[in-house]
Amino acid sequence: MNTPDHTPDLTPHRLIDHAGLLALARPRPDAAAKLAATPFPSDHLSDQALHGAILGSPHPHARILAIDTRAARALPGVHAVLTAADIPGTPCYGLRHVDRPVLCADKVRCIGDPVAVVAADTAEQAHAAVTAIRVDYALLAVVDDPLHALEAQAEAVHAGGNLLHHLHHAHGDLGAAVAACEHVVEDEYHSPRQMHAYLETEGGIVEHDDDGRLVVRFGCQNPERDRQVIAGILNLPPDRLRVIGTPVGGSYGGKDELTIQPLAALLALKTGRAVRLHLNRGESTDLGVKRHPMRMRLRSGCDADGRLRFIEADILADTGAYATHGPEVLDAAIEHVVGPYAYDAVSLRGRLAYTNNGIAGAFRGFGAVQTQFALERQIDRLAALAGFDPLCFRQRNLAAPDAPGPLGQHVLPFDGPHRALDVLCTHALWTAPHRHADGRYLYGTGLALVHRSDGFGKGGPNAARLVLALAADGKLELRAGFTEMGQNLIGAATRMMADHLHCAEDDVRIVLGDSALTPDSGPTAASRTTSIIHRALRDHGPRWRAALVDAARVDVELPSAARTAAGGLVSEAGHPVLDYPSLARQCATTRPTLVIDLPAEETPSDIPAAHLVFGASAALAQVRVDSWSGQVKVERLVLANALGPVISAEGLLGQMEGGAVMGQGMATIEDLPSPGGRYAARNLDGYFIPTLADAPEIEVLAIENLMADDPAGPRGAGEISVNVAVPAVANAIAHATGLTVTRLPVTPDTVLDHLERQA
Amino acid sequence: MITVQFELNGKAVSVDCPPERRLLELLRETFHLTAAKPGCGIGRCGACMVWIDEQPVNACLVMAWQLEGRRVRSYENLATSTESAPVRDALARCGGLQCGYCTPGLAMTLTHLHRLEPRPKRDEAALLLAGNLCRCTGYGGIRRTLAQLFDPAIQAPLDESTPT
Repeated sequence: MNTPDHTPDLTPHRLIDHAGLLALARPRPDAAAKLAATPFPSDHLSDQALHGAILGSPHPHARILAIDTRAARALPGVHAVLTAADIPGTPCYGLRHVDRPVLCADKVRCIGDPVAVVAADTAEQAHAAVTAIRVDYALLAVVDDPLHALEAQAEAVHAGGNLLHHLHHAHGDLGAAVAACEHVVEDEYHSPRQMHAYLETEGGIVEHDDDGRLVVRFGCQNPERDRQVIAGILNLPPDRLRVIGTPVGGSYGGKDELTIQPLAALLALKTGRAVRLHLNRGESTDLGVKRHPMRMRLRSGCDADGRLRFIEADILADTGAYATHGPEVLDAAIEHVVGPYAYDAVSLRGRLAYTNNGIAGAFRGFGAVQTQFALERQIDRLAALAGFDPLCFRQRNLAAPDAPGPLGQHVLPFDGPHRALDVLCTHALWTAPHRHADGRYLYGTGLALVHRSDGFGKGGPNAARLVLALAADGKLELRAGFTEMGQNLIGAATRMMADHLHCAEDDVRIVLGDSALTPDSGPTAASRTTSIIHRALRDHGPRWRAALVDAARVDVELPSAARTAAGGLVSEAGHPVLDYPSLARQCATTRPTLVIDLPAEETPSDIPAAHLVFGASAALAQVRVDSWSGQVKVERLVLANALGPVISAEGLLGQMEGGAVMGQGMATIEDLPSPGGRYAARNLDGYFIPTLADAPEIEVLAIENLMADDPAGPRGAGEISVNVAVPAVANAIAHATGLTVTRLPVTPDTVLDHLERQA
Repeated sequence: MITVQFELNGKAVSVDCPPERRLLELLRETFHLTAAKPGCGIGRCGACMVWIDEQPVNACLVMAWQLEGRRVRSYENLATSTESAPVRDALARCGGLQCGYCTPGLAMTLTHLHRLEPRPKRDEAALLLAGNLCRCTGYGGIRRTLAQLFDPAIQAPLDESTPT
């Protein structure tokens, strides 16, 4: 059972350093439109549109006794005042658990839980009507603690009780593994309730088009799923709805699930008018999902040789009032708490509790980042006890590239963790002293290593449909139901189209996020879209290139070896034969399209929610801690990413830098407590996110190698920088101060208390 | 209700509205100028930055009665002007925008700083830009943009190659 020394023979790294990435980076294709102030969904104003407003619950937990809307209906300018009784179809929505009422009928479960919704001629009239609605509540005990939520006498947030999801996984002989340990570390770690703080709050418009459809235009991550769900709520056939979800003014997972779109659609249906609905920051804070706070008890140990033997984890997550992505978040937390390391025995338990603390849901890093923080703290602490350098200790304990995955499942062989560590071990920031003091300031360098999954776990929405088409103007189109949220999907997709179709980027158009134009590609989530498009073009690009040539042959005599190239079809020798606009005109009645149905690629192992594909990242963080104020300044971050071939250098840089600073925020300043079920802040004056003045120097390194015959190709880059930055910063603070960091964010008070105790 | 007369993007305008109506709401709802974004409504995020008498101001913090006789410029006007061309070019080339929602406000502040005489040094410009929040970029591309625009060693060649 003991692990051998898994240092595989690595082929030379195919490494692109930061300067190399910058040299490869080009302007995003959508930069010009964004710099020209092209409207976002919430900018679609119309003088004809009514203004929507929501009456949310003022109580975290209460029974609704009566709702009286008569006075509100009688006010001038009011066109509709709707309650749950007015919903024609399914009254609730949700993903795995359909538990979230569109409008609350019998009880409210969090502050802001929608009870009624109003449409009026002006925003003022809508607001006046909302305040004129009378609701009688009977207050219920507030469940504001996930541990108490699971006690027998706790008030039930939902009829089925407060335990929404739980799972257990164990393999190996735990008793023997513990007995073999020389060093054991056990502690409880706490991660914060982080807010997405996308700058575009939830907003948009629902209009009636000339075909009798409701056109729902709100930033989202999965227009086709939203269309199906809203159709069910409105009891309309899905073809009576069109959902446009792109571009999005930031999401980071926060707009993955529906929030207010069903309410706007309901108002538009009932009034026959266009309806606008746009939350202010306070309303967005109330109704938007947050990162799941977690309490994580970890116990792990290594033997006298510094070999990890076992890990035990007990995770308790607070999902708030409704499930949304909560169960999948807990699944990811459990799968990633093991890390890329080898053990003799693993014992994991996770529980997810309903509470009245707002709503937690999908957030970049998705459950994994919480447990990776706890795990990487454990690893650093064990390394110190065993007398090893933190990097050497990690290298020593890596699972072999062809080892089973964290839950024992079959995974694609991958040596990314080995490579990421190997690249960092000679980095100047790591070979310099990891700790020094300079009068008032304490400096520390921390290391973290993570691997993280691509796509959804087994049984998730992993399939995708994409369409390749020749447009009327001769553009080679990729149509996908994904949305552009800033991740540079358009740029990455354009690059891949040009590469795989052997054409120029100017020949390509990417059509996204509109259920009337794009197929059901599944969610724009789980770091999956680049990988999906890559697979589609790699596997079907040759067929599509041939289809374009065949389409030309119908009317034109072509050389036998004609092929696609920049601008159009060319002969074998590269002489232009037919440009794409001419081709499109020529086959105006039968322009070719290719529908690509990508099947889900999942682990064959019979383990629910387990993943097949992983990427890896290792990071160094250097912090400067002010011993007078306790403030932590992150000065440098170095991220070594093993994610396969770089598709879009500017996209990779942007995702790495953006996610790293989001992780820095989670580690140092961001938390939204919910005492008594009420968020402690409702705007950016009480909830702080990093500013330009806080941003560190960030160095991004890309390791392009994949294993021979790797079938998956490039790994997603959308999340892993958050995953790795959080534990790297936490470990750096620990190194700088000697503080045993178990709770994020590390506040100045915590630092000062620690320094005073030491003095 | 009051009647306020001011200059908006070079044209004289007159609005009847409550005196406390915010400039941000006037821009978006009355004039349908949506480049200024309602990110927070309390002057913390900078997404609604405009110029009043050539100075950058959060439009959510200005009331209608304060506008009498003032010159307001929104990003719609700036976005097509040569004075913002170096800023727009640098933002695009350096990866200074991702989702783009903060971009108009950021470009208003940056263009103002870039026009100042004498031009601020890079570190000074960075401090003055800290009132414009961006949640996507981690400020990596924005820092590169600042280097392009405010580091004398870098900015000279860029200015020459700037398209208008």
